[in-house]
Amino acid sequence: MTSPCQSLSAPGELVRELLARRRPGYSLEAPFYLSEALYQVDMEHIFGQHWIFVAVEPQIADAGDYITVDLGVDSILIVRDDEMQIRAFHNVCRHRGTRLCASRQGMVGNIVCPYHQWTYDLAGQLIHAKHMSDDFDLRSHGLKPVHVRSLSGLIFICLAEQAPQDFEQMAAEMTPYIAPHQLSQCKVAAQVDLVENCNWKLTMENNRECYHCVGNHPELTISLYEYGFGYKPDALNIGRLQRFEEILAANHKRWEGMGLPSAEIDTLERRVTGFRTQRLPIDRSGQSQTMSTEVASRKLLADFVEPALGGLSFWTQPNSWHHFMSDHTVNFTVLPISATKTLVRSTWCVHKDAIEGVDYSVENLTSVWNATNEQDRRLVEESQIGIASGAYQPGPYSPFTEGLVEKFCNWYVNRLRALVR
Amino acid sequence: MPTVALPGSPGSPDLPDFAAPAPPPWSAEQDHSLRCVHIRQETHDVKTFVLAPRAPRSFRYLPGQFITLELDIAGRRINRCYTLSSTPTRPDLVSITVKRVPGGPVSNWLHEQLRVGMALDVLGPGGAFSCLAAPAQRYLFLSGGSGITPLMSMTRALHDLGSDADIVFVHCARSPADVLFSDELGLMARHMPHLRLATVCEQQAPGSAYAGHLGRLDAALLARIAPDLQQRDIYTCGPAPFMAAIHAYLSGAGFPMARYRQESFAFESLAQPVATPMPAAGASTAPAHASPRTGAPAYQVRLQKTGHQFDCPAEQTLLQAAIAAGLRLPFSCTSGACGTCKSKKIAGQVRIEHAGGIRQREIDQGWILPCCSKPLSDIVLDR
Repeated sequence: MTSPCQSLSAPGELVRELLARRRPGYSLEAPFYLSEALYQVDMEHIFGQHWIFVAVEPQIADAGDYITVDLGVDSILIVRDDEMQIRAFHNVCRHRGTRLCASRQGMVGNIVCPYHQWTYDLAGQLIHAKHMSDDFDLRSHGLKPVHVRSLSGLIFICLAEQAPQDFEQMAAEMTPYIAPHQLSQCKVAAQVDLVENCNWKLTMENNRECYHCVGNHPELTISLYEYGFGYKPDALNIGRLQRFEEILAANHKRWEGMGLPSAEIDTLERRVTGFRTQRLPIDRSGQSQTMSTEVASRKLLADFVEPALGGLSFWTQPNSWHHFMSDHTVNFTVLPISATKTLVRSTWCVHKDAIEGVDYSVENLTSVWNATNEQDRRLVEESQIGIASGAYQPGPYSPFTEGLVEKFCNWYVNRLRALVR
Repeated sequence: MPTVALPGSPGSPDLPDFAAPAPPPWSAEQDHSLRCVHIRQETHDVKTFVLAPRAPRSFRYLPGQFITLELDIAGRRINRCYTLSSTPTRPDLVSITVKRVPGGPVSNWLHEQLRVGMALDVLGPGGAFSCLAAPAQRYLFLSGGSGITPLMSMTRALHDLGSDADIVFVHCARSPADVLFSDELGLMARHMPHLRLATVCEQQAPGSAYAGHLGRLDAALLARIAPDLQQRDIYTCGPAPFMAAIHAYLSGAGFPMARYRQESFAFESLAQPVATPMPAAGASTAPAHASPRTGAPAYQVRLQKTGHQFDCPAEQTLLQAAIAAGLRLPFSCTSGACGTCKSKKIAGQVRIEHAGGIRQREIDQGWILPCCSKPLSDIVLDR
């Protein structure tokens, strides 16, 4: 992506200076969370050059279904074509630039500009433009394509001219983990958009640790073992920690025996398309991230022999996390709106044949993460307020519980060091 | 032909008595229902359903024409047109060849529920997409996916008639596993010195020995396959985007479009009558009256909101007739691609030949594109 205001964008000098003096093991300096110039850098180099998770396939289940996604100033149109392939384009008419589809989601036959009815087929080719000169070449006015890939139903896009090639590695490693949950056979049961008054990196950093869980997330910690995210052993918890390690080992053995890969993979820092995954046990009944820890939907996602499959967690750089359980999935995408405003979109999916009110209720399905998201929103907004005050200086991460936050910051800083010229 | 079964066993066709004079022609008005006598699995998601009359009858139709199935699926009456893949040169049976469409109520019902021995209610045949309606010496047949069916019917007929027509037959499929009728086409090509075959697959299939064209049919590939296409009559059938791309290319390349014909396979379903009584089943193609101008049948079109009424000859689109009557409806492309003229049909039946400007889901809900819809009965539009 080339930003139209590149000449006005952050003086590279200042950005390189901030990157150069970043102290490992400490949170970032205030400008990273506050400055408009740094926001432009993030949009150009992080959201403009990497694979960004934006949607799940059930959002565009049928031929002609489309969604639009805003990445900063760019609107991206993602559509399922007549051969059921997923395609993505810049949502901009080649005539005079009009936004083609204004809705968040809908259905099209061909893609038609509302202004002068220029018509594009779902391959992005211009097939009709009335009143143009005889020598007007339809073929040279197609929609601008955007890289798009589905990883077992998770839709990623990349605005760069050359998309990072290691997406294929992630796809190869993650497909055996995610495919058994058959996301493409699901339907969206609920989707909630939450706008957080903070920089997107605070949203992500908060997601990457559970240091704050026990004090802030009473609903989530019913089902989630906080030990899954790093812990400092002490006399009080050593027994519980050991017990967790035993449960983890026993469950991994059991799940792997069912053909469900469970072992941790962590490439968060090592790769351009960094990610981490692990299938984690769920407390009590072991079934689902609900208030009762039991399945929220009676219709399981696949032919699973039992509902207690824990939760397959999947985290991607720079902007998503996911939990796949036996009965439902919940996927989170984080999209910056401005330097101090961030959209968190949560999507819950259940089997497409599950009937609302019979097999599941939206309230029971969504209550844990709705509560958790609301708690997290308050936490990150308070961080943003504190960071904006003159007293803020980068603080130290816990080596026991905040290793994944450090990995996020390292990835971010290293990607910018590689890209900002 | 199915293997010979004992007469009277379930589903087996009663064998025709070839010693007797030919039976009378089949007519949907007299025998509304046909019996499924055989099902062939053509590919992993395409089946051919062979249908026989209940009493001795012979089928007369133009190769390329379609029939309309009248089905009750999950308590809902759905009408769906399917091209006959069979040839009228073998008049004892007809067949339709159906690709299973994900989420498509009709194709999934046919694939999962229809069994040998079951009866289907049928209307028709109808349609004007046939090279035997305007015979030529040189043809280019372009098919995408299950759009091969009318072109298969035409080729089978020409073959059976001993024709020496010069045909370039192009079939585009997703992968070698989706290619239809290749053995039979190869066999016909052995008998027809001027039948040439080209297959274009978007992608290779694992383990396949396919060595034909890979990729999508574009102008360059078409020029390689049929360098003399300007001299050929072109018949195209396939998904709307496929036809739209070919149509756009040919009209841009100066092809005489009078010799270009395309057939859509997304048709109308009968809307529930609201305001006007429906014609009786089977009378769907009975003309209301003859138009004074051409002598061809014409139907009456009424706009419910404005109260306007005008006549629409059977061979005209509703939009052409509306413009001729001095009315203004919104439109842009006039070829079924942009959907600007999309209107809700309150009553009546039309045939739509669109180019992707409308979805089958919308057609099922009663929406039509007046720019590419021709009347099969009197029409009421919500305009």
